Amino acid sequence: MKQLPVIFMHQLTRYACSPGTYLSAAVFLVLCAALGLQVGQWLERDSSDLQVFFQLHPWLYLMLVPALSIQLWADEHDTSFRTLLKTLPITPFERVFGKFLAAWFVCGIVLMLMFPIVLIANHLGATDNSVIRLQFLSSWLLAGSYLSAACFICTLIRQQVVIFLLTIGLLLAVSGLSSAIEALEHQMPIWVIDSLIALDPLSRFDTMDNGKLALSDSLFFISMILAFLSASTVTLNYKSR
Amino acid sequence: MLEIDGITKYLGKRKLIHNLSFSAQRQECIGLFGDSGAGKTTVLNLIAGLSNLSGGRISVAGFNTQTHPYQAQAALGYQLQRGLNHHRMSVKSVLNFIAALRGFSGAEKRERINKAATRLELFPVMDAPLAELSMPWKRKVAIAQAVLHTPALLLLDEPTEGMSPDQLLNFKMLIKSLSDEMTIIIASRRYDELSTLCTRALVMADGQLVADTPLPELQRNSRHYHAVTLAAQAPLDLLALAVLPGVAGIEEDQHAPGTVTVLALPGQTIYPHINALIASRGWNITSLSLEQGRLNDVVHHLTQEVRP
Repeated sequence: MKQLPVIFMHQLTRYACSPGTYLSAAVFLVLCAALGLQVGQWLERDSSDLQVFFQLHPWLYLMLVPALSIQLWADEHDTSFRTLLKTLPITPFERVFGKFLAAWFVCGIVLMLMFPIVLIANHLGATDNSVIRLQFLSSWLLAGSYLSAACFICTLIRQQVVIFLLTIGLLLAVSGLSSAIEALEHQMPIWVIDSLIALDPLSRFDTMDNGKLALSDSLFFISMILAFLSASTVTLNYKSR
Repeated sequence: MLEIDGITKYLGKRKLIHNLSFSAQRQECIGLFGDSGAGKTTVLNLIAGLSNLSGGRISVAGFNTQTHPYQAQAALGYQLQRGLNHHRMSVKSVLNFIAALRGFSGAEKRERINKAATRLELFPVMDAPLAELSMPWKRKVAIAQAVLHTPALLLLDEPTEGMSPDQLLNFKMLIKSLSDEMTIIIASRRYDELSTLCTRALVMADGQLVADTPLPELQRNSRHYHAVTLAAQAPLDLLALAVLPGVAGIEEDQHAPGTVTVLALPGQTIYPHINALIASRGWNITSLSLEQGRLNDVVHHLTQEVRP
């Protein structure tokens, strides 16, 4: 695990040096603020939390997560550099986890940049900061699970455009799962519907977003992250044979 | 330092490496010779852990590459044949990253990078993006990253390709200084360039080891061993050269008119006789050299022997 901080810092530097990171973060924040204020009418609602902003995040991540994920393995786009890395004493787990943590960290910074909205909320009136903290946590966990899935896609495919499109496709499918469950509610056996609900990250995100912290929901996201990262590690191990 | 015991490598049903064994001791500089497709790069890749063995065992600095791959990789440095490329990173940032992965930080990291950059004369291109460098520079960067951590075993794959005579001279000096600190294996098709560097030669053909011998011994097998090459502006009296004692034959250089090589019979020394003839005839000789044997011919001959 001693190479983990090196990979993390290197990936973080790559993000910091890439204009794409700043562009996708700016678009995410501007859209979040604009849609929350205009469509969600947050100011008129006199709400004590920021739910109108956070409920947009699963959709806004459709743009932020693929933009970050295509940079995850961009370093290894050059064959000679990729081959060289295989001759260095780094385990596939360190490579996967270090890169993922850097991308997740960037997501965390982007979420932190929503601080002006928190300040305005506190300035305008009675706000429940514990609920807001939970909303930040749930959004960050959701971003982590999306990123881990994107990381897995990156280990399967090298072409950046395909990675971008596949990640968007996967996240769209996840985002549309709730609608699919509703549509299938009376046509599928109840156990299938229950299983789909249990697997739907958005329903768990909504629960946390409403200020209800359940250990099962947090564990769901963490286990999803670990499962995808393990799958990525196994894929890299298999490919290196 | 390096133990290779009966290794075999298959690619599908094709056997790339056949039951290859050898060992290398500290401070040895070994030339791994053979034509294109002989299996040199495959052997280096197997030692570096880039691909898995189909059979046999490799141990680097006492670590089995199958059971302790990361410990073995920590003990070796590998310069890949294609050099090193990256679409965005500069030479400095690549070396920084590799040094950090090799476990260096702070002042020690800077010192290591400076030492490698000095050895390879990389300072003029330190801030240049790798992608903008020419192939010889990329190969130099690849060598620099391989020697950063002073590995116990250094693997170089065609390091002299594309090097100018000046660069080649500097490279030879570098290898000589490194060979005091580590075991070096150089895979190359440019055998004669390495004849003054390597102490031992491994010759490969069709994935097999066809010779493992001290380099001087390999040179002795050359028909040009102790031959004398001389060049003159005026045509030379070839008959006078041919009748000298110990002369086995004369070869005229097709590409350089006026240059001839006088071959010596095994165990015979012809240099003094030729010198005496030049003095007595008053020939205007522009160059005169005693050859130590041409490795190209010997390696070519050895590799042809195993071909079906």
